[in-house]
Amino acid sequence: MVNLTIDGKQVAVEKDATIYDAAKACGIKIPILCHDKKLHPFGGCRMCLVEVEQMKGRLIPSCTTPVTEGMIVQTTTDEIVKARKLVLELLLLKHPIDCPVCDAAGDCDLQNLTYEYKVNMNRFVDEKFNHEIDYENPLIERDMNRCIHCGKCARICDEIVSYGAYTFINRGIEAKMGTEFDGPLNCEFCGSCVSVCPVGALNSRPFKFKARWWALQKTKSVCSYCGTGCQLTLGSKDGKVLTTIYDENQGFHNGQLCTRGRFGYQFVNSEKRLTAPLIRKNGKLQEATWEEALAEVTSRLSAGKSDPASVAALATPRLTNEELFLFEKLFRGTVGTDNIDHSAGYAHEALTKGAKASFGVTASPAEIADVQKSNLLLVVKSDAYETHPVIGFEINLGVKRKGIALRIVSDKKGKLTRLPGAKTTVHAPGSEIALFNALCKSVIDQGLAAEGVAGLDALKAAVADATAEKAGVTAEEIAAIAKDFASAEKALIILPIGQGYPGHNAALANAAANLAILTGQVGKEGAGLLIMSEKNNSQGAVDMGIYPKGTGLNAQAIIDGCANGNVKTLFVAGENPVVSYPNRAKVEKALENVEFMVVSELFLTETAAMADVVLPACSFAEKSGTFTSLGRRVQNVRKAIPAVGLAKSDFDILNALSQALGGARYNNQGEVFTEIAANVPAYKGLTQAGLKDEGAVYPVTLAAKLVPAAAKASAPAAGKLALVTGSALYHCGTMSRFGEGPMYVCPDAYAELNVADAAALKVAEGDQVTVTSGTGAVQVAAKVGKRVPQGVVFSPYHFGEGSVNTITDGSEVTYVTVAKK
Amino acid sequence: MIMPLIKGLQITISHMFKKPVTLQYPTERPDVKPGFRGLHTLNVSHDKAKCVACYLCPTVCPAKCITVEAGEDQNHDKYAAKYEIDMLRCIFCGYCVEACPVDAIRMTEQFELANYSRADFTYTKERLLEKK
Repeated sequence: MVNLTIDGKQVAVEKDATIYDAAKACGIKIPILCHDKKLHPFGGCRMCLVEVEQMKGRLIPSCTTPVTEGMIVQTTTDEIVKARKLVLELLLLKHPIDCPVCDAAGDCDLQNLTYEYKVNMNRFVDEKFNHEIDYENPLIERDMNRCIHCGKCARICDEIVSYGAYTFINRGIEAKMGTEFDGPLNCEFCGSCVSVCPVGALNSRPFKFKARWWALQKTKSVCSYCGTGCQLTLGSKDGKVLTTIYDENQGFHNGQLCTRGRFGYQFVNSEKRLTAPLIRKNGKLQEATWEEALAEVTSRLSAGKSDPASVAALATPRLTNEELFLFEKLFRGTVGTDNIDHSAGYAHEALTKGAKASFGVTASPAEIADVQKSNLLLVVKSDAYETHPVIGFEINLGVKRKGIALRIVSDKKGKLTRLPGAKTTVHAPGSEIALFNALCKSVIDQGLAAEGVAGLDALKAAVADATAEKAGVTAEEIAAIAKDFASAEKALIILPIGQGYPGHNAALANAAANLAILTGQVGKEGAGLLIMSEKNNSQGAVDMGIYPKGTGLNAQAIIDGCANGNVKTLFVAGENPVVSYPNRAKVEKALENVEFMVVSELFLTETAAMADVVLPACSFAEKSGTFTSLGRRVQNVRKAIPAVGLAKSDFDILNALSQALGGARYNNQGEVFTEIAANVPAYKGLTQAGLKDEGAVYPVTLAAKLVPAAAKASAPAAGKLALVTGSALYHCGTMSRFGEGPMYVCPDAYAELNVADAAALKVAEGDQVTVTSGTGAVQVAAKVGKRVPQGVVFSPYHFGEGSVNTITDGSEVTYVTVAKK
Repeated sequence: MIMPLIKGLQITISHMFKKPVTLQYPTERPDVKPGFRGLHTLNVSHDKAKCVACYLCPTVCPAKCITVEAGEDQNHDKYAAKYEIDMLRCIFCGYCVEACPVDAIRMTEQFELANYSRADFTYTKERLLEKK
């Protein structure tokens, strides 16, 4: 620790702190324009000038000067104020005074400082800039006339997002923030640059002119897309969510969001939202009252009570813990059926079966904070970045700032594979388990296994014939990864799961866990296995027991049950099986066949359109509760706006049904959380009030053991391409389709081909192609690149039209033929 | 006892010979002084309302009677797509005029604002635009 004095205050800080950090630590605010706590010091704006006793004679920029022992710092003297005023005058020389029409006004650092330092005159005169303004981009509006050259946009894009869309171009007075060849922005559209811009040079286009900053009601909540559990602040006005507000002090990610989190909020106030219950009369869905709709559902469910096996229920893991708990209690308890499930049944197996068998818990042994504490990350599928972009940013930061080694085993390349020092092993599609078994064998063969691991002999026998060739990689690659992983002080495996990855099942979780356990990389921080569940509350759905526990049917079997008539009543809360479950034709047929289907949904989705009763539900912005993120962090979700139309939250719907069916009735969702804390062991001792803003990570007690995982031999079909599905960077599940932001950037389904395959098929970028498998055929646009290896096709699963589940059947890899339309 | 009565009558009688204060409205019209705060008007320049929809007037309005909604025109400029004043709530304090950074709103000398229905007291942008 280093001791120094700032404005007469004694302060002790770490030796790598700057004067700015030290002042912040003792509550002294130094004005600054070019600094963000996530970024490296830059020293570009000269606003943070301070006086140091030991360096008299000149003013020192506090953000780039490291502290030294015994430093005596003054942060405001007449001379400093004069210097800061000069800086502001020079900035205002070129900055247009268009605050009345600038959306940053109210949240503008330059405006606030100008006011604070009373700069109402300017000694200098000059012409303003006349740069062309980029109005074309649907998400980020760039007005370089307002830019003050703090460089934050370029730095955040480079340091954290690792994209590098911006750079300074030209010199001197002509310098400006430029893009590639000074053309339009063509990036990931995460909006990080918009969030850190201290002025209105970079604006969120969807929020343009919607409201002034001071009129917004700010509500701290949690993002409702992926399982990362990023905290965000919703800006709402007049019952509408208008924007997300940047707060550098929120969450592990320090306010950093991806494109869905920042620009995907519009689904909340979409015009397509359901505003009244619908009942099918004479074959058509017609508006009805809540009483009618609930009476209909109640009568069907109470009839089902006498034959519980004929009732089944599917829930989306986007609901809150409270809703899921009530859902479980209603169907497993009151109705008495075990036929409840979520996420197509396979997308949570890695937790409910895999982690359960290997670690004795239904959660990841590691948490998100372990990513930064690790020495080596082994990422399964480069898609980890696409499915969970903010964890991708964490990986970027870890690799670039802390020198964490990065090993990727994937069926295609991706953004993570381009990070410095990243070593990528591209394996044959669908051979993840074989690859992990080969890694385990290599660890044992090289004598790197940790001592005293129970069940080693059984594993040895199980992986005896696991060769690198079976995974389509070389023995040297396997040996190198095994050696690096075993010899790293702390090594963490990152495994994304989800409906796009049928192959990421229980067996793969076991295989990955085996490697961690075998090398002793469990039970310590920065090591182990981080299973990244797909949706915002996937972990919560598992914790609340939304999966068959006894002889009940899982999601796939429920669909089969609907088809063969065993399931007569189906309750669907927010799931969209028609688009997200494998084999669309089969699902559609099954849902047509089921006697009575009720769907509670935000939108009239493909599934809701087939229902007998549709109940309009609330989005995350219209209700309070808790979500549990993939790192086992339980966080508060807060209501920002009143319900849209006549919509009711799933909590209210389930509560009403529960009461009508003779089950429990709650006064509010808070009561349910109290019951969760009393009934779910992991949540013991938690209260909603106690979670505060930061949430709480619930602890797990691991009972790690080796569970041999059998690799399925996949048989590549001659002359066919291997189709692997997954997530597009801009989408999550099927809900992001209703957000304008994601749809501007990625509106249609596509199939990504290797350049060589595309050339052989005479397909060019953007061509419509027909992808045919044994299950069906679908038409999508082609995307050509070098990301996927030859012989592999990648397609994201989110879209309703050209949905890839038309041709998949739930196996790891689907062999397809691609032909130009 | 009698003296205050006489004094009072004296004042009453003296007023009989003075010019009456009461204005025989509407036959007689008041002389409205400059600076009077009457009905608002939106200033027009180059055939367009000067208002840039900065929302400072609804922000400063103590009676919360101004509703503004901004829009984006063909030149990507900000303009007031909706500008409404609820005259039933307005307290004619003139803060809106003071807050306006572009001299877009003024108050006229018009004070005759009576109307027959509540809806007629909602002054839309069209009604408020300066008549030339």
